[in-house]
Amino acid sequence: MAVRPCESPGPAPATRPDGSVTWEPQVRHLYVHVPFCAHKCEYCAFYSEVPRGDLMERYVKALGRELERVAADLRPRTIFFGGGTPSLLPLRLWERLLRQMDRLHLLGAAEFTIECNPATVSADKARLFRDFGVNRVSLGVQSLDEALLERLGRIHSRRQVFESWETLRAAGFEHLNLDLMFAIPGQTLAVWRATLREALALGSEHLSTYEVIYEEDTPLFAQLRAGRFEVDEDLACAMYDELLEAAAAAGYRQYEVANFARHDGPSETPLPTHACRHNVNYWRGGSFYGLGPSATSYVRGVRTRNAANTLRYCAALETGRRAVEFREALPPLARAGEAAAFGVRMVRGWPFADFTRLTGFDLRREWAEDLAWLVARGLGEISPEAFRLTRRGLRFADLAAERLLRPAPPD
Amino acid sequence: MDVAHIRNFSIIAHIDHGKTTLSDRLLHRTGTISDREMQEQLLDSMDLERERGITIKAHPVTMHYRAKHGETYELNLIDTPGHVDFSYEVSRSLSACEGALLVVDAAQGVEAQTVANVHLAMRQNLTIIPVINKIDLPHANVDLVKTQLEDILAIPADTAILASAKEGIGIDEILEAIVHRIPPPKPTGAPSLQALCFDSYFDTYKGVVTHVRVFNGEVRPGMLVKLLHTGKTYEVKEVGSFNPKPYVRDRLEVGETGYLTANIKSPKEVKMGDTFTDAKHPSPALPGFQEVHPMVFSGLYPINTADYEHLKANLAKLQLNDPAFVYTPESSVALGFGFRCGFLGLLHLEIVQERLRRHYGMDIIATYPSVVYRVKLTDGTIKEVDNPAYLPEPTSIDHIEEPIVKAYIICPNEYIGDMMALISEKRGVLDHTETLDTRRVMLTATLPLNEILIDFHDRIKSLTHGYGSMDYEHAGYQVSDMVKLEMLVNGEPVDAFSCIVHRDKAEARGRALAAKLKEVIPRQQFAVAIQAAIGGKIIARETVSAFRKDVTAKCYGGDITRKRKLLEKQKEGKKRMKSIGSVDIPQEAFIEVLKA
Ligand SMILES: Nc1nc2c(ncn2[C@@H]2O[C@H](COP(=O)(O)OP(=O)(O)O)[C@@H](O)[C@H]2O)c(=O)[nH]1
Ligand code: SF4
Repeated sequence: MAVRPCESPGPAPATRPDGSVTWEPQVRHLYVHVPFCAHKCEYCAFYSEVPRGDLMERYVKALGRELERVAADLRPRTIFFGGGTPSLLPLRLWERLLRQMDRLHLLGAAEFTIECNPATVSADKARLFRDFGVNRVSLGVQSLDEALLERLGRIHSRRQVFESWETLRAAGFEHLNLDLMFAIPGQTLAVWRATLREALALGSEHLSTYEVIYEEDTPLFAQLRAGRFEVDEDLACAMYDELLEAAAAAGYRQYEVANFARHDGPSETPLPTHACRHNVNYWRGGSFYGLGPSATSYVRGVRTRNAANTLRYCAALETGRRAVEFREALPPLARAGEAAAFGVRMVRGWPFADFTRLTGFDLRREWAEDLAWLVARGLGEISPEAFRLTRRGLRFADLAAERLLRPAPPD
Repeated sequence: MDVAHIRNFSIIAHIDHGKTTLSDRLLHRTGTISDREMQEQLLDSMDLERERGITIKAHPVTMHYRAKHGETYELNLIDTPGHVDFSYEVSRSLSACEGALLVVDAAQGVEAQTVANVHLAMRQNLTIIPVINKIDLPHANVDLVKTQLEDILAIPADTAILASAKEGIGIDEILEAIVHRIPPPKPTGAPSLQALCFDSYFDTYKGVVTHVRVFNGEVRPGMLVKLLHTGKTYEVKEVGSFNPKPYVRDRLEVGETGYLTANIKSPKEVKMGDTFTDAKHPSPALPGFQEVHPMVFSGLYPINTADYEHLKANLAKLQLNDPAFVYTPESSVALGFGFRCGFLGLLHLEIVQERLRRHYGMDIIATYPSVVYRVKLTDGTIKEVDNPAYLPEPTSIDHIEEPIVKAYIICPNEYIGDMMALISEKRGVLDHTETLDTRRVMLTATLPLNEILIDFHDRIKSLTHGYGSMDYEHAGYQVSDMVKLEMLVNGEPVDAFSCIVHRDKAEARGRALAAKLKEVIPRQQFAVAIQAAIGGKIIARETVSAFRKDVTAKCYGGDITRKRKLLEKQKEGKKRMKSIGSVDIPQEAFIEVLKA
């Protein structure tokens, strides 16, 4: 089954001039968090743990209940299983889960992605995924340098990347994403070049490449604090330059700060054909359900987050409750500010009409000063239709986001 | 009490030589305080000063002493600020006395502060009674101290009383000497009341309580008095003395010392050294009055801008009891709203800051202190400038004069070389050296006040491993080649760092400041030029290189709230930034530099 390329990620909410919002009748995007990893990576701040006992069983059961609770409000156009390491779930549990989704009429998404760790991809699983309509796999490669993989605490080897690649292609996956990381402590420009060259040669449809972030409470952060290595900003910059160049030369179109996709078909489309619609929905302020421990949902302007603890998550669902532990509903301007801030991460920026339809605010008016500030610094550009960050501006997407946010006054 | 039985005296001493202990001893021996009260140090009432061994202010205490020959005397001990920053106040207090006890530590010998204080006392023509204290110490060297008294201070050594304030030795001799050697007060012969006001404090109920010494006539409640320098008239509400607690008296007679209240609302109305006289039959003012002028200025800013009003209120409170401290509102691009504050000297500045910090719990930052320059303009007028911001254009300046001091530095012989090097580094001139004894010398030098503001005293202490001491007195003005050093960030001056410095020092200071600023100014999306300039000429420069990108990390649905909060926090932080030459600089950066 081929991915049906869709222009926009789904029917977005619309805000009328009087401020009332027409929300999507049904939520069209689903994220599922699988909170298990065989081993914790040095840089990772996602919620995941090493599975023990029957925790995976319990999790799948609880997730089933959570799915049941939201199914009526959900007709997924995109599904994304992330983690953690979704591919760590054994075949048997995957089958149970997918069957249940089928019963709940949650399958058949135009884009259905599962994140896989190269060490945990098997032909059986790949086949099972295909059978249930999974049409996209995101492979967490991070690096093709053996020493760096070790450094990052990844459980897979270089060889396993190529093997799993073959397995997936053999299973018929035509839409593969590679996750790569740069500015890893100890990574030289030459090593990065080599990884890029080899990864691009594989010819994936999509590429997510991002710089290491030093998240608090990770071993890598502690090492940085302890002065075990230094952050070389110039080197990181050179690597990013290298990435842009190599990706373009290999025929990828950048469509977001850290995302590149192949494009076939007519050249003047707003998004490359293989862009990940699921993620586009995030940047465009769309609704989505996020299920599983620690997952965030954003449904009709209300953001909730599940307990970041698998036992608590399971216990809640077992007693018939959802595991929501955080809830936030921003006032209209703050919500719009958030959409503005994260939407400009996309290369095409924010078409004014889309922004107004989504938020009810006019980006040109309400944010006039900020847009001018960004333009004056060569970070942004304004056309009659849209505001977008320049090539240089995309490197300062956080700075731009900071300007565009409209923090709600403290209560 | 008749004048013949009144003695007014003060005690002068170098820090730690025993002034406080001796005062307590005298109060105890005359029965003014009890045994129990003796346990506590009574005269110093402010912790801060006690900790630092400096008394700014203590009440004059009246004691009654029955002398050996049987007559009873009223002895008034008038405290003086221990430091010459307050030299005018010291001189006013001393002028309320006819004599002074000079306390010298038998083991330490004469120190710099001793010298400065003795000079002040001699200028007031006071009878000086030398007291060599701490003779109980095993390494006391009485003979050596005697030689120093004669050689350095020209005080006859055989007049010295040997004492131990701690052991109670020599106390009677001291009291007898006060009675017999110090002359009684002499009425001035003026037609009516003349009372010198030498100190004051503020009392919420009574208003300003002035410390007075009656030189002529007498003062009673109900009397109409006039302050001669302000011309204001008041009705006296209450007079009294301290023992050491205030007690009401029906009058203060000629020669006596005590307090006077007259419903005076503002401490500013009472100028140190002013004379109270009878409003109906005025007498002339007592000699020696001067307007006190602050010698050192610095901007004080709340670190948290929201504290501005709070700071203002506290400055007002401080001023109530310290009228020599002045302040006016000012604002700075870098630091926001604050106050330009004037102090009598460096120590005064430190004390005020310490009080604000510790006493009032304020978080404040002070700008680089400045002295008061006399700027002679080409049109012949003279302008006083205490803030670099108001220094006229170089083209309209004929010359600039800066205040200088005469400094006394006492140190062990082996450090003479270091001290001479320090003096010349500080643009000073060594006037002469004197041998104090086999171990120590005293250097007398003339130095610009500006140069000793920052670390002179600390440098002396550290170069001499704690054995050196320094004191100074103001010595007028001298013409100097002063220039205004400006720090520019992307071409725009940062007011908080401008300063007036000597041309020879401008470059080094400019370099140091530029380097420091480079450390603290956060990188921007463009390169930031930091320059030090004199009259438009760049003498030092540093560049903060541009940062070229944010972390180009991924950002998906789950991260949005967290990331948004992080960015919101940064945004909030930037609100507190000052934009100078379109460079966003957090206030903390400026503070960091000023602290360094
Ligand atoms: N041995 C000895 N110590 C003394 C004597 N007089 C004062 N001291 C000590 O010297 C220190 C400083 O005395 P203090 O009266 O506070 O000095 P001030 O700074 O001049 O007021 C204190 O520790 C006193 O106890 C004395 O006669 N003999
Ligand atoms: S595999 Fe992914 S989720 Fe698991 S620890 Fe590593 S980076 Fe984190």
